[in-house]
Amino acid sequence: MELMKLEIVTPNGVIFDDEVKQVTLPGTEGEFGVLPKHATLVSLLDTGVIVIEKADSKEIAVAINSGYVKVEEEKTTCIVDGAVALFGEDSDLSRALEAAKELLQSTESSSTAIASAVSKVEQIGKSL
Amino acid sequence: MANLKEIKRKIGSVKNTQKTTNAMKLVSSAKLKRTEELAKRSRVYASKLTELIEEIAQKMQQSSADGIDNVYFKEVKNPKKVDIVFVTADKGLCGGFNSQTIKRVSQLLAQYKAEDVKVRLRAIGRKGIDYFKFNNIELSNEIIGLSAAPDFKKSAEFISEVAEGYVKGETDKIVLVHNGYVNMITQEVKEDHLLPVDTSKLELNTVSTSELEVEPDDDDTLLDALVKRYIEYTMYYSLIDSLAAEHSARMQAMDAATKNAKEMVKELNVKYNKARQEAITTELIEIISGMESMK
Repeated sequence: MELMKLEIVTPNGVIFDDEVKQVTLPGTEGEFGVLPKHATLVSLLDTGVIVIEKADSKEIAVAINSGYVKVEEEKTTCIVDGAVALFGEDSDLSRALEAAKELLQSTESSSTAIASAVSKVEQIGKSL
Repeated sequence: MANLKEIKRKIGSVKNTQKTTNAMKLVSSAKLKRTEELAKRSRVYASKLTELIEEIAQKMQQSSADGIDNVYFKEVKNPKKVDIVFVTADKGLCGGFNSQTIKRVSQLLAQYKAEDVKVRLRAIGRKGIDYFKFNNIELSNEIIGLSAAPDFKKSAEFISEVAEGYVKGETDKIVLVHNGYVNMITQEVKEDHLLPVDTSKLELNTVSTSELEVEPDDDDTLLDALVKRYIEYTMYYSLIDSLAAEHSARMQAMDAATKNAKEMVKELNVKYNKARQEAITTELIEIISGMESMK
């Protein structure tokens, strides 16, 4: 399967920069998936969870509050205000989940979006 | 003998000062390292954001013949009202760091006055506020504490307020002045034209973006959100940059002060020894002449 580059940048630095198979993004107009060779696109991102399928087919998730994404054929760049990555060791994971929930609740956008994002975070937490 | 004691006391006091300045230098260098790291990390974000704005702006420029039709991009030919936002430190003892910024702001003020432009000053940092207050120049904002500890939320709140004035037409132009960090030994006063977004600086001819899709479908919504974020971030970055510069300036100033103190101690030591020898010589002469007269 083809791969593309994914970069997630926050004001505190780059938190993800790797080759991925697929990424699902929480756009303001609805969730959408991006595969390699996607047409060029710029979108606003809402509060939610970015689900990444890595090159080794493992899924990881990153909770974000809001931001932008620029999709190019070979490369996808997410510019987000705040993000918590939900991967790593078990002990880190529970802490990351808590931090993610906190981050999501701290945003000011609609409560339904936050609720769905929080439930998604919990769901991912269970599956990992 | 009184002279001897006095010199000794002076040496002690200079040595104490030296200790203080040396400690301040160490503190500044540690803080500088942290701030530098912060600046480095946020620089990536800033550059990506600028890149994105450039592309959207380019797309909009291509789609309409008469440039970009957005409130944030409309250049006013002869600005009548200008806001100057400037950042200084809250504390002194950092060489010419604050006075350089103040000087630049004063220059701008004079320049705009000559052009008959109304200027509103918005100050961040105690030193700048003190200076302009002392000179009876009105400030429309006085923010203390933000330049010592940059906080994204607070700086965003402040600059959104300023930007709102721009959107409402209360001001035609927003200029941001701060003393920025270049490297460990140099700082440079930077003057950014925050709003309207300076399209001449954007590189609008890199790639063809005619196929760029935008979501939400309305260019303006996206651009508005982006520009807002852009100015918020530029403000925040200026604060970090200024803080890094402040620490490097203080480090330098304290380094110079420590060196000067060292030099002074050296000089005073020579003076002390001379005075001591002089005292001994006089004493000896007194004794010898006393003995001579007894013969």
